[in-house]
Amino acid sequence: MTEQLAAALAAEEAAIYAYGVIGVHLTDADEVSRARAADLEHRARRDDLIDRIDELRASAAPAPAAYALPFEVTDREGALKLAVHVEDGVAQAWRALLPVTEGDERSDALSHLTDSAVRATRWRRIAEVTPLTMAFPGRPG
Amino acid sequence: MVFTGTVLTNSRRNFLGVLLGSAALAGCGVFDSEPEPAPQPDAFQPLLDEALALAAAYDRLIVSQPALATRLTPLAEDHRAHAADLTRLIGAAVVSAAPSASAPSAPADSIATLRKAEQAGQKAAAAACKTAPADRAMLAGSIAACRATHAEALR
Repeated sequence: MTEQLAAALAAEEAAIYAYGVIGVHLTDADEVSRARAADLEHRARRDDLIDRIDELRASAAPAPAAYALPFEVTDREGALKLAVHVEDGVAQAWRALLPVTEGDERSDALSHLTDSAVRATRWRRIAEVTPLTMAFPGRPG
Repeated sequence: MVFTGTVLTNSRRNFLGVLLGSAALAGCGVFDSEPEPAPQPDAFQPLLDEALALAAAYDRLIVSQPALATRLTPLAEDHRAHAADLTRLIGAAVVSAAPSASAPSAPADSIATLRKAEQAGQKAAAAACKTAPADRAMLAGSIAACRATHAEALR
Protein backbone atom coordinates (compact mmCIF):
# COMPACT_ATOMS: atom_id res chain seq x y z
CA MET A 1 0.00 0.00 0.00
CA THR A 2 2.89 2.38 0.67
CA GLU A 3 3.67 2.48 -3.02
CA GLN A 4 0.13 3.64 -3.82
CA LEU A 5 0.19 6.11 -0.93
CA ALA A 6 3.43 7.57 -2.25
CA ALA A 7 1.89 7.88 -5.71
CA ALA A 8 -1.15 9.64 -4.25
CA LEU A 9 1.16 12.00 -2.37
CA ALA A 10 3.05 12.78 -5.57
CA ALA A 11 -0.23 13.43 -7.40
CA GLU A 12 -1.46 15.75 -4.65
CA GLU A 13 1.87 17.63 -4.60
CA ALA A 14 1.65 18.04 -8.36
CA ALA A 15 -1.92 19.32 -8.03
CA ILE A 16 -0.90 21.89 -5.41
CA TYR A 17 1.88 23.09 -7.67
CA ALA A 18 -0.47 23.20 -10.67
CA TYR A 19 -3.12 25.20 -8.83
CA GLY A 20 -0.46 27.80 -8.07
CA VAL A 21 0.08 28.20 -11.80
CA ILE A 22 -3.65 27.99 -12.55
CA GLY A 23 -4.48 30.77 -10.10
CA VAL A 24 -2.18 33.17 -11.90
CA HIS A 25 -4.17 32.88 -15.11
CA LEU A 26 -7.70 33.12 -13.73
CA THR A 27 -9.41 36.45 -13.12
CA ASP A 28 -13.11 35.64 -12.80
CA ALA A 29 -13.97 35.75 -9.09
CA ASP A 30 -15.91 32.49 -9.14
CA GLU A 31 -13.15 30.65 -10.98
CA VAL A 32 -10.50 32.03 -8.65
CA SER A 33 -12.43 30.95 -5.58
CA ARG A 34 -13.00 27.47 -7.01
CA ALA A 35 -9.28 27.13 -7.69
CA ARG A 36 -8.49 28.33 -4.18
CA ALA A 37 -10.92 25.84 -2.63
CA ALA A 38 -9.43 23.04 -4.71
CA ASP A 39 -5.92 24.04 -3.66
CA LEU A 40 -6.90 23.92 0.02
CA GLU A 41 -8.51 20.53 -0.40
CA HIS A 42 -5.41 19.11 -2.07
CA ARG A 43 -3.23 20.53 0.71
CA ALA A 44 -5.42 18.88 3.35
CA ARG A 45 -5.18 15.55 1.53
CA ARG A 46 -1.41 15.91 1.20
CA ASP A 47 -1.10 16.49 4.95
CA ASP A 48 -3.26 13.43 5.67
CA LEU A 49 -1.14 11.34 3.33
CA ILE A 50 2.08 12.45 5.00
CA ASP A 51 0.62 11.46 8.39
CA ARG A 52 -0.52 8.09 7.08
CA ILE A 53 2.84 7.36 5.49
CA ASP A 54 4.52 8.34 8.77
CA GLU A 55 2.23 5.95 10.64
CA LEU A 56 3.33 3.14 8.39
CA ARG A 57 6.93 4.17 9.00
CA ALA A 58 7.44 4.31 5.28
CA SER A 59 9.39 7.07 3.71
CA ALA A 60 7.80 8.62 0.70
CA ALA A 61 9.92 9.47 -2.24
CA PRO A 62 11.05 13.02 -1.69
CA ALA A 63 9.03 15.53 -3.67
CA PRO A 64 10.91 16.68 -6.70
CA ALA A 65 12.13 20.25 -6.37
CA ALA A 66 10.32 21.39 -9.49
CA TYR A 67 7.36 19.92 -11.29
CA ALA A 68 7.20 19.69 -15.00
CA LEU A 69 3.80 20.82 -16.24
CA PRO A 70 2.34 18.56 -18.91
CA PHE A 71 2.03 21.57 -21.21
CA GLU A 72 2.75 25.26 -21.13
CA VAL A 73 0.10 27.41 -19.48
CA THR A 74 -0.12 30.98 -20.72
CA ASP A 75 -3.79 31.90 -20.45
CA ARG A 76 -7.17 31.05 -18.91
CA GLU A 77 -7.88 28.33 -21.42
CA GLY A 78 -4.61 26.58 -20.61
CA ALA A 79 -5.21 27.04 -16.89
CA LEU A 80 -8.63 25.36 -17.09
CA LYS A 81 -7.17 22.55 -19.17
CA LEU A 82 -4.46 22.03 -16.56
CA ALA A 83 -7.07 21.96 -13.79
CA VAL A 84 -8.94 19.16 -15.58
CA HIS A 85 -5.65 17.35 -16.16
CA VAL A 86 -4.51 17.43 -12.53
CA GLU A 87 -7.89 16.36 -11.16
CA ASP A 88 -7.91 13.42 -13.56
CA GLY A 89 -4.40 12.52 -12.40
CA VAL A 90 -5.32 12.75 -8.73
CA ALA A 91 -8.40 10.60 -9.39
CA GLN A 92 -6.15 7.91 -10.90
CA ALA A 93 -3.91 7.89 -7.85
CA TRP A 94 -6.79 7.49 -5.39
CA ARG A 95 -8.45 4.82 -7.49
CA ALA A 96 -5.24 2.78 -7.26
CA LEU A 97 -5.65 2.80 -3.47
CA LEU A 98 -9.06 1.08 -3.57
CA PRO A 99 -7.81 -2.51 -3.96
CA VAL A 100 -5.11 -2.14 -1.30
CA THR A 101 -7.35 -0.61 1.39
CA GLU A 102 -10.42 -1.74 3.32
CA GLY A 103 -13.30 -0.28 5.26
CA ASP A 104 -13.08 3.38 6.15
CA GLU A 105 -9.71 3.82 4.51
CA ARG A 106 -11.14 2.57 1.24
CA SER A 107 -14.17 4.83 1.68
CA ASP A 108 -11.85 7.79 2.11
CA ALA A 109 -9.95 6.89 -1.05
CA LEU A 110 -13.24 6.56 -2.92
CA SER A 111 -14.46 9.88 -1.65
CA HIS A 112 -11.25 11.56 -2.87
CA LEU A 113 -11.56 9.81 -6.24
CA THR A 114 -15.17 10.96 -6.50
CA ASP A 115 -14.36 14.47 -5.37
CA SER A 116 -11.63 14.91 -7.97
CA ALA A 117 -13.82 13.43 -10.69
CA VAL A 118 -16.64 15.84 -9.85
CA ARG A 119 -14.21 18.75 -9.75
CA ALA A 120 -12.84 17.76 -13.18
CA THR A 121 -16.42 17.80 -14.48
CA ARG A 122 -16.96 21.30 -13.06
CA TRP A 123 -13.77 22.55 -14.70
CA ARG A 124 -14.81 21.01 -18.00
CA ARG A 125 -18.15 22.80 -17.80
CA ILE A 126 -16.43 26.11 -17.06
CA ALA A 127 -13.99 25.51 -19.93
CA GLU A 128 -16.93 24.44 -22.13
CA VAL A 129 -15.22 21.14 -22.90
CA THR A 130 -17.41 18.18 -23.80
CA PRO A 131 -18.14 15.52 -22.87
CA LEU A 132 -18.33 16.66 -19.27
CA THR A 133 -17.87 13.15 -17.91
CA MET A 134 -15.97 9.94 -18.53
CA ALA A 135 -17.33 6.45 -17.98
CA PHE A 136 -14.52 5.32 -15.66
CA PRO A 137 -13.01 8.19 -13.69
CA GLY A 138 -9.52 7.31 -12.51
CA ARG A 139 -8.97 4.56 -15.06
CA PRO A 140 -5.70 5.34 -16.84
CA GLY A 141 -5.68 5.78 -20.57
CA MET B 1 -54.79 9.05 -19.44
CA VAL B 2 -55.40 6.09 -17.20
CA PHE B 3 -53.08 3.98 -19.29
CA THR B 4 -50.29 6.55 -19.09
CA GLY B 5 -50.68 6.64 -15.33
CA THR B 6 -50.29 2.89 -15.13
CA VAL B 7 -47.13 2.85 -17.18
CA LEU B 8 -45.66 5.56 -15.04
CA THR B 9 -46.46 3.78 -11.80
CA ASN B 10 -45.04 0.50 -13.03
CA SER B 11 -41.82 1.93 -14.32
CA ARG B 12 -41.30 3.86 -11.13
CA ARG B 13 -42.02 0.84 -9.04
CA ASN B 14 -39.64 -1.24 -11.08
CA PHE B 15 -36.88 1.26 -10.74
CA LEU B 16 -37.40 1.61 -7.02
CA GLY B 17 -37.50 -2.16 -6.81
CA VAL B 18 -34.09 -2.30 -8.39
CA LEU B 19 -32.68 0.14 -5.87
CA LEU B 20 -34.37 -1.50 -2.89
CA GLY B 21 -33.32 -4.90 -4.15
CA SER B 22 -29.72 -3.86 -4.04
CA ALA B 23 -30.03 -2.88 -0.39
CA ALA B 24 -31.74 -6.16 0.47
CA LEU B 25 -29.10 -8.19 -1.33
CA ALA B 26 -26.29 -6.44 0.47
CA GLY B 27 -27.90 -7.49 3.75
CA CYS B 28 -28.45 -11.06 2.67
CA GLY B 29 -24.89 -11.72 1.65
CA VAL B 30 -23.54 -10.88 5.07
CA PHE B 31 -26.06 -12.43 7.41
CA ASP B 32 -27.59 -15.32 5.60
CA SER B 33 -25.87 -18.44 6.90
CA GLU B 34 -28.57 -20.96 5.96
CA PRO B 35 -27.90 -23.19 3.00
CA GLU B 36 -29.57 -21.69 -0.03
CA PRO B 37 -30.53 -24.07 -2.83
CA ALA B 38 -31.00 -21.36 -5.44
CA PRO B 39 -27.72 -19.90 -6.73
CA GLN B 40 -27.09 -16.49 -5.22
CA PRO B 41 -27.09 -13.66 -7.69
CA ASP B 42 -23.75 -11.97 -8.07
CA ALA B 43 -23.17 -9.21 -5.53
CA PHE B 44 -22.65 -6.79 -8.42
CA GLN B 45 -25.91 -7.74 -10.17
CA PRO B 46 -27.69 -4.70 -8.63
CA LEU B 47 -24.99 -2.43 -10.10
CA LEU B 48 -25.68 -3.90 -13.52
CA ASP B 49 -29.46 -3.56 -13.11
CA GLU B 50 -29.02 0.07 -12.06
CA ALA B 51 -26.74 0.83 -15.01
CA LEU B 52 -29.30 -0.57 -17.44
CA ALA B 53 -32.19 1.21 -15.70
CA LEU B 54 -30.32 4.52 -15.74
CA ALA B 55 -29.40 4.17 -19.42
CA ALA B 56 -33.05 3.41 -20.21
CA ALA B 57 -34.26 6.42 -18.21
CA TYR B 58 -31.94 8.69 -20.23
CA ASP B 59 -33.15 7.13 -23.46
CA ARG B 60 -36.78 7.78 -22.55
CA LEU B 61 -36.11 11.40 -21.69
CA ILE B 62 -34.20 11.90 -24.94
CA VAL B 63 -37.14 10.45 -26.88
CA SER B 64 -39.61 12.76 -25.18
CA GLN B 65 -37.30 15.81 -25.33
CA PRO B 66 -34.99 15.48 -28.34
CA ALA B 67 -33.46 18.87 -27.62
CA LEU B 68 -31.69 17.26 -24.66
CA ALA B 69 -30.01 14.59 -26.79
CA THR B 70 -26.63 16.32 -27.12
CA ARG B 71 -26.40 16.82 -23.41
CA LEU B 72 -27.74 13.46 -22.26
CA THR B 73 -26.46 10.96 -24.81
CA PRO B 74 -22.88 10.87 -23.46
CA LEU B 75 -24.25 10.18 -19.97
CA ALA B 76 -26.38 7.30 -21.24
CA GLU B 77 -23.29 5.97 -23.05
CA ASP B 78 -21.35 5.99 -19.75
CA HIS B 79 -24.02 3.77 -18.20
CA ARG B 80 -23.90 1.41 -21.14
CA ALA B 81 -20.11 1.20 -20.76
CA HIS B 82 -20.65 0.27 -17.09
CA ALA B 83 -23.19 -2.37 -18.07
CA ALA B 84 -20.75 -3.85 -20.59
CA ASP B 85 -17.93 -4.11 -18.03
CA LEU B 86 -20.23 -5.48 -15.34
CA THR B 87 -21.66 -8.07 -17.71
CA ARG B 88 -18.14 -9.17 -18.60
CA LEU B 89 -17.16 -9.36 -14.94
CA ILE B 90 -20.22 -11.24 -13.74
CA GLY B 91 -20.08 -13.54 -16.71
CA ALA B 92 -22.98 -15.53 -18.05
CA ALA B 93 -25.58 -14.04 -20.31
CA VAL B 94 -27.07 -11.73 -17.78
CA VAL B 95 -28.64 -9.00 -19.87
CA SER B 96 -31.73 -8.76 -17.73
CA ALA B 97 -33.07 -6.06 -20.03
CA ALA B 98 -33.65 -2.99 -17.94
CA PRO B 99 -37.00 -3.45 -16.22
CA SER B 100 -38.39 -0.22 -17.54
CA ALA B 101 -36.81 -0.39 -20.97
CA SER B 102 -40.02 -1.70 -22.49
CA ALA B 103 -41.98 1.38 -21.49
CA PRO B 104 -41.50 3.64 -24.50
CA SER B 105 -42.04 6.89 -22.69
CA ALA B 106 -42.56 7.58 -19.03
CA PRO B 107 -43.61 11.21 -18.77
CA ALA B 108 -42.25 11.44 -15.24
CA ASP B 109 -38.62 11.33 -16.37
CA SER B 110 -36.99 14.71 -16.02
CA ILE B 111 -33.54 16.11 -15.36
CA ALA B 112 -34.50 16.32 -11.69
CA THR B 113 -35.58 12.67 -11.40
CA LEU B 114 -32.47 11.55 -13.29
CA ARG B 115 -30.32 13.52 -10.91
CA LYS B 116 -31.96 11.85 -7.91
CA ALA B 117 -31.52 8.43 -9.52
CA GLU B 118 -27.82 9.17 -10.16
CA GLN B 119 -27.33 10.16 -6.53
CA ALA B 120 -29.06 6.99 -5.32
CA GLY B 121 -26.96 4.99 -7.77
CA GLN B 122 -23.78 6.64 -6.53
CA LYS B 123 -24.59 5.64 -2.95
CA ALA B 124 -25.32 2.07 -3.97
CA ALA B 125 -22.07 1.79 -5.95
CA ALA B 126 -20.06 3.35 -3.12
CA ALA B 127 -21.52 0.77 -0.70
CA ALA B 128 -20.68 -2.01 -3.15
CA CYS B 129 -17.13 -0.67 -3.47
CA LYS B 130 -16.63 -0.61 0.29
CA THR B 131 -17.42 -4.31 0.72
CA ALA B 132 -16.10 -5.57 -2.62
CA PRO B 133 -13.13 -7.93 -2.88
CA ALA B 134 -9.92 -6.14 -3.86
CA ASP B 135 -10.10 -7.14 -7.53
CA ARG B 136 -13.54 -5.53 -7.91
CA ALA B 137 -13.04 -2.37 -5.88
CA MET B 138 -11.74 -0.21 -8.72
CA LEU B 139 -14.66 -0.98 -11.04
CA ALA B 140 -17.29 -0.22 -8.39
CA GLY B 141 -15.33 2.88 -7.34
CA SER B 142 -15.15 4.28 -10.85
CA ILE B 143 -18.86 3.61 -11.36
CA ALA B 144 -19.69 5.43 -8.12
CA ALA B 145 -17.49 8.38 -9.11
CA CYS B 146 -19.02 8.47 -12.60
CA ARG B 147 -22.55 8.58 -11.23
CA ALA B 148 -21.48 11.48 -9.00
CA THR B 149 -20.14 13.36 -12.02
CA HIS B 150 -23.46 12.77 -13.78
CA ALA B 151 -25.35 14.32 -10.89
CA GLU B 152 -22.99 17.27 -11.22
CA ALA B 153 -23.39 17.46 -15.00
CA LEU B 154 -27.18 17.58 -14.56
CA ARG B 155 -27.07 20.62 -12.28
